[in-house]
Amino acid sequence: MSGAGEETTDDGPERMYVITGGRSKAGGQDRLDLVTLVVARSQPEPGMPPEHTAIVRMCHYPLSVAEISAYLELPVSAVKVLLADLLAGGRVEARAPVPAASLPDIELLEAVMHGLQKL
Amino acid sequence: MVRTGTPSAGHQPASPLVWILPPVVTAACTVAAVVAVVQTARVPVAWCGAVATAAVLLIAGETARRGRAITALRRRHADQEAGLRRLMAEQEAETARLAEVLLPEAVARLQRGESAAEVLKSAAYEAELDPGFSAAHQAVLRTVVDAVVAEEDLRDSAQRAFVNIARRVQAIVHQQAQDLREMEHRHGEDPEVFGDLLHIDHGTALIGRLADSIAVLGGARPGRQWSQPVSMFSVLRGAMSRILDYQRVDLHSVAEVAVVGPAAEPLIHALAELLDNATRYSPPQTRVHLSATEVQSGVAVEIEDGGLGMGEEARERAEQVLTRSSAGIDLTDLGETPRLGLAVVGRLAQAYGFQVSLRPSAYAGVRAVMVIPGNVLTSVPPPRAVPRPGTMPPPRPMPTRPAQPRPGAQAPATVPAVAERQEQPAAVEHNAYGLPQRRRRGPAAVPRPGGVAAPASSPPAPARSAQAPSADPGRPVQPGIWLAAFQAGINGETPAPAGPARRPSDDSSEEGK
Repeated sequence: MSGAGEETTDDGPERMYVITGGRSKAGGQDRLDLVTLVVARSQPEPGMPPEHTAIVRMCHYPLSVAEISAYLELPVSAVKVLLADLLAGGRVEARAPVPAASLPDIELLEAVMHGLQKL
Repeated sequence: MVRTGTPSAGHQPASPLVWILPPVVTAACTVAAVVAVVQTARVPVAWCGAVATAAVLLIAGETARRGRAITALRRRHADQEAGLRRLMAEQEAETARLAEVLLPEAVARLQRGESAAEVLKSAAYEAELDPGFSAAHQAVLRTVVDAVVAEEDLRDSAQRAFVNIARRVQAIVHQQAQDLREMEHRHGEDPEVFGDLLHIDHGTALIGRLADSIAVLGGARPGRQWSQPVSMFSVLRGAMSRILDYQRVDLHSVAEVAVVGPAAEPLIHALAELLDNATRYSPPQTRVHLSATEVQSGVAVEIEDGGLGMGEEARERAEQVLTRSSAGIDLTDLGETPRLGLAVVGRLAQAYGFQVSLRPSAYAGVRAVMVIPGNVLTSVPPPRAVPRPGTMPPPRPMPTRPAQPRPGAQAPATVPAVAERQEQPAAVEHNAYGLPQRRRRGPAAVPRPGGVAAPASSPPAPARSAQAPSADPGRPVQPGIWLAAFQAGINGETPAPAGPARRPSDDSSEEGK
């Protein structure tokens, strides 16, 4: 799919289930959400699978799970499995997605909307 | 007979003289009798003696003559016999040559693809042989050649049929794998569906491997072709993808090399077969260790299992299968419980110069080592691993809103971005509601929604707008429509709003999904 129409080089030879080790959900990691922010806590090491290395490298700055999924071109469930492994190994850290930001926003916007409607 | 003839020939010179003896003795006896008898009887006795001597002389002469004739006859026989014997030996040699040289050579040449007529012409005979005999031999040769040609044709067509069927299965499996990958991306957020898709994907890969094996045994290439080098890590995991028990395989150190495109698929397939053997013939609770290390002549991939191991005899048999299959194996002699694996590995190894050896493992199981020659290796391709971290920094401004980096995300990935967007709206929804409405106020603001919303939906936009009207009624979309219509009325733009008025409804219906 990333190969821009070249059907011979659409993806690597490895299938998704090998990347996730056959798992489709991250065991015990329910707190991982699409907007959970992930930050690396260590440098990538030589023996790690490429996906792990890529996550650790790209999460040098906090990234949401959804973004990691987009950059890796992997489904969210697969990314969650990988992140669960990394979290278990203490290589990355998950943070709640800044909940304070959303609530005032809605109120503010509603206020603005009502104000506009009253115009 | 030759031996009995030879002594009689040795007696030959003595015999004529021997036959003189009896007449001489008879004559001497006659003389003695004549001297011994009385005077009056001497004349009759002398007569009798003379007659007897003459008779004996006659008989002796005749006997000697016959003896000579027999000797001559015997000599002639011996000559004849020797001649026949020589002829027989020649013919025997010729028959042996037919069996040991001509026929195998003819069969070999036919199998190499030479024409039957050429093979027959070149099988020459010595001229001094009996023409009838040569003709008979030629006939034998021709019959055998015809039979071999017919059998080769049959085998060829059978193989072609096998390969053809395998190719069709491969095509279906390939298509299926692609579809599944798309579905995995599409349903990536639902772990249950995603898990089921992974399961089906795995089963499909197993079917693909079987089809590949049949194609390889039929003398064709394994299915896919890679136009770009494939990293060793991907090769090993690709091999793992194709076996049943991939979860039992432990991937250890992997050399930082890549395999050139044309050799990647055969290598993946051969390794998959070896891994399959390793997992199949070891207890289910044991692990199989897989690693790839650089060696002088290339890269050595080691597969170690903790199974029962192979006896020396079994190991020799397996290696024999490996070497024999490289010389060419028949689909017909695979038998009823075909052990395709090693035969396939042998074939691929021979075709692409991989060296395979099976040895006892330190874990008491089998240690299969495949040495990949340096000429099919290359350096790790940069595209996949490097650029993405490189493009990472730009979208960094993450801190407050997850919505902000999204435009940056659209550049590298389109499909997952869509998947992500479908989920995201829940959080963004309220923002989006406010903004489009404000847009309507002034036409100048229109580009902005395009900047935010279009990248995701720009290609399918026409289709969306076509679908949207039907989806509109009954949707909780009315507020937007109402507001848009209201504001369009305020602004006094009657024809233009028709377009924008529909678009916000698209957005909201899209977000409603």
